[in-house]
This record gives sequence, C-alpha cells and structure tokens, in this order.
Amino acid sequence: MSKQASHESQGVVSGEGKEIPRSGVRFSQRTVGVTLLRAGIIGGFLLFWQIASGRWIEPFLISSPSRIFSSLVAGFQTGDLLLHTWVTFQEIAIGFPLGALVGIGVGYWFGRSRFLAEIFEPIIIALNGIPRTALAPLFIVWLGIGIWSKVGVVFLLTFFLNFFNTYTGMRQMDQEFIDLARLMGVRGWKLSFKVIFPAISPYVFTGIRTSIPFSVIGAIVGEFIAATEGIGFFIRLSAGIFRTADVFVGIIVLMFMVILMDRIADLVEKRVLRWQVQTEHVQIQG
Amino acid sequence: MAETAVQSRTENQPDENLVIRVENISKLFRTPDEQAIRALQDISLNVAYGEFVTVVGPSGCGKSTLLKLIAGFSAPSSGRIMYQNEEVRGLNTKVGYVPQESKLFPWLTVEENVGFGLDSKRYPRQKRQDQVRYFINLAGLSGFEKYYPAQLSGGMSKRASIMRALAYEPPVILMDEPFGPLDAQTRMVLQDELLKIWEQKRQTIVFVTHDLVEAVALADRVVVMTHRPGKIKDVIKVPMNRPRNIFEIHRQEGFDEAYGRLWNIFRHELKIGAR
Repeated sequence: MSKQASHESQGVVSGEGKEIPRSGVRFSQRTVGVTLLRAGIIGGFLLFWQIASGRWIEPFLISSPSRIFSSLVAGFQTGDLLLHTWVTFQEIAIGFPLGALVGIGVGYWFGRSRFLAEIFEPIIIALNGIPRTALAPLFIVWLGIGIWSKVGVVFLLTFFLNFFNTYTGMRQMDQEFIDLARLMGVRGWKLSFKVIFPAISPYVFTGIRTSIPFSVIGAIVGEFIAATEGIGFFIRLSAGIFRTADVFVGIIVLMFMVILMDRIADLVEKRVLRWQVQTEHVQIQG
Repeated sequence: MAETAVQSRTENQPDENLVIRVENISKLFRTPDEQAIRALQDISLNVAYGEFVTVVGPSGCGKSTLLKLIAGFSAPSSGRIMYQNEEVRGLNTKVGYVPQESKLFPWLTVEENVGFGLDSKRYPRQKRQDQVRYFINLAGLSGFEKYYPAQLSGGMSKRASIMRALAYEPPVILMDEPFGPLDAQTRMVLQDELLKIWEQKRQTIVFVTHDLVEAVALADRVVVMTHRPGKIKDVIKVPMNRPRNIFEIHRQEGFDEAYGRLWNIFRHELKIGAR
C-alpha cells in the first residue's frame, strides 16, 4: 500500500518502539566492572573468614573456607557425599516436577471451571494456611523413612506454589483474548494451547521459579526429621558431632542444587517468554 | 456452552441484500448493587452487504454494546439479531472483530497474529503464507513480520490488529473505536488506509466511533445514537463520492451537508442550543 504508511511505521519504530535486547553476552566496561566488584566482595569475605577462623573465633563454630574445601573434596572422593547428594537429588527430581505439574494442572482446571473453584477454593486456602513443613512428620509416618516421605514433602511444597500462581494467572487472564480467539474459530484444546497456556505462562513460570528453593527445603526438612541418607541427614549428623566444615559442605551442595535448577528454569523461561519486553532496572535518580 | 448455535428461521422472509438485521433489541445490565441499567433500548438496524456503516454517539451510549451483541459475545435482553438470515445465538464466528485496544496476542509475532484466523480455515501452507504476506504488505508492515507486539508502536499494533480481522476474510468486520487512542496524524493515515483496503475488498464494516468527522468521512451511512438508554436517534446517508480523500475531507462535496446534519443532532443533545 502507500509508501507513506511504511515510511511512517519505520519512523515510529526507531523513534519510540521498544526494543527487546538480543540475548547473548555483551562485555561492556560496565559488566566487567560489576563482575570484578562482585568477585572482590566474595573474595574479601572468604579471606576475612579464613583469617578470623582460629584467630578471633573458634574454628568449630565457623570452620574455615580451606577446611570446607578440603572436606568437600574428601567427601566426593570417598563417594559418601555423592551418595547423599544423589538421594536428595532423587527426592527433588521426582517430587518437584510432579508437584509443579499437578499444581499447574489443578490451577488451570480451577481457572476454567467456576464450579470446581467455588467448591475447592476455600478448602485449598485453608490447607495453605497450615505451615506445610509441619506436615512433614505425618509423611514420615505414612511413607516411611525412605525417599518417598521426602518426595511427598517436596511435592506438597511445590504443588501449592504452582497451584496458586497458575490459578492467579487464570483469573487475571484477559477475557478479550479468549473471545477474539473463539470468534476466529479456535476452540477446545486448541484454545488451551494457542491462547490460554501462553497467556498464563508468565504466572506459571513465576510459580515454578519460586517453588525451586522450596522444593529443596522440603527435601531437607524431611531428611532432618527421619532419614538414613541425604544431604539433610548429612548436615544434621555432621552438626551433631561438631564437624562444622561438613555442615558447610552440605549447605554448599544445596546451594549449587538450587542455582543449577534456577539456571535451567531461567533458560527455559527466556526461551518460552521471549515475547515479553525485558524490564529494565527502575531509574529513580537521573 | 454452545459455540455458534445459529438457528435458521425461515418464517421471517429473508432479504438477500441484508447481512445484519438488528430487530428491536434491548440490553439490560445488572449493576453490583442489583439495579438494572438499560444500555440499549429498541434498537433496530439493517446493514447491507458491502456497506460501510459507522455508529456514532457519546461515550456510554451503548454503541460498543451493540457491536458486542452482533458479535455474539453476549445475548440481547429482548429482540433478536439476524446474521445472514439466521439468528445469532452464541458467538458469531462469521464476523471479524477489531477491539478498542489492539489486543494482539503478545506471545505471537506480527506474522502469527495476522495469520491467527487462518488456522481454522485449513488452507494449504503456500496459500496461507501468501495470504499473510499480502495482508502484511497491505498494512505496510513488511519487514516487521517477526516482531512481537511489545516491540511495535501504537499505530503499527493497530494496523496489525485490523489485518488480523481482515486476513481470514469474514464477510463482516466489526470495529470498536479502533483509532480512538491514536494521535491525529496516525489516525488520518490509518483511516486513509482502511478506506483504500475497503474499496478493494468491499467487506461489510460496522465501525463504532465517537468522532463525528471520522463517522462522516468513512461511512455510507452514519447511525446516530443518544445517551442512556441508548437509542438510535437518526440514520444519515453520506452523499460523498468514493474514493474519498481523507486528508482533505472537508473540501469534498457532500461532507458539509452530512456533517451539518450530524452536528445539528448532537448540538441538540448537548443542549448548547442554536446560535
């Protein structure tokens, strides 16, 4: 059509169109500076810790970075730590996806059916009011001291967060998107996959990401209560015999587990939600 | 819920020229405090194939509601709406709808948005591609096929939104103040484009607006609605030739006559009185 039109649109884009930054790392001076500063802060903290330990503070209280490191290496060499890590990993690897999937599914169905929501919503809110870790001992009674009781606790923690986020997404959804899609002849499962799931996907991802640390908490709490293996068991055991370095080793393993899961979720999220405008840090002073 | 339960009624002699017949409809809304608000009262309106009808009225007069009833988003409280001689019950999937805000699906690219309505048509891949490309070109959006709505300006989103409704070629397109939030220049450019496309395609358009100039400039007939309860006050034929030049619409023969009549009605409505 008119040249004028395409010209105008070009102008608008360079003028006020919002740009979605391309993915990929750009090493500006700023990023280098930020990274260096961050490394400096962490390094300084570790150095201070190392110096303080044994000089100003009893080593059995805070151990020291060098001791923790050698315990970590030793733990993996004997295979002991590997076993505990594997057990905890299994509990999360089963409980987390299951909890997330069921949570998302139930949230979706409640969002679709007002009838279901009316019946179950107060019940779920009441259940959510219970401090969920308080239910962990019950799971031990029901499912024994093996991994399945921990899978249960992980499931429970993951389920609620995913359920609530997905359900919120369903309730916040723009009716006009549904109406428009249906007007254009899209219905049934196609409507779900082409419109509903994409529309709620930001909420679903919020649920998944907030539930990641909680799933690890679930596994550890379960292992604290009754277990013969797992990082939680390892931490409790080490603390009991004042092997503080091993306690920190356990904490480090958990930290890396959370970071790993979060990075994976982040990658998937960036891929699925690439249509969203990346929000920049709010600027308060000019 | 019934998707498009359109029931045929043959006892009312069908008129082959009319695509929409709004027969005596009223629409009541219930307010949160259980009071009924009459949004539309005794509306009757016929729209012929290929006609460009604008509906103009003050905000809150129920003109958007009328459009939503024709689309079948909700049902009238009384009366009925006939579409191609069948009563509209449930969603009317034979119309296209352009909402007030662009409402492009933010998770789809421009290309995918424009092609959205084609999926249920089961076109062969090549035909589908051509169709999408054709309408993207028509909107001057070539080069932006892979952009997401968040990356577009207001005018571009608007264009894409209109193309999404045009691309699957429904016989009737309902537009609900599509150019409302745009600046004056962009608005004029888009009005011009819309007219050019319509002159080629001659799809039926029912276009709701609160802008009197826009109403006259685009339409074959202007339906004038008044405030709550929404009633049709008058229907004005616009005696201007086509193609029209939107940019100098004031100079075109027939504009003053139609605009004058329209303004007379609204002057009365606004109680400014004759000068």
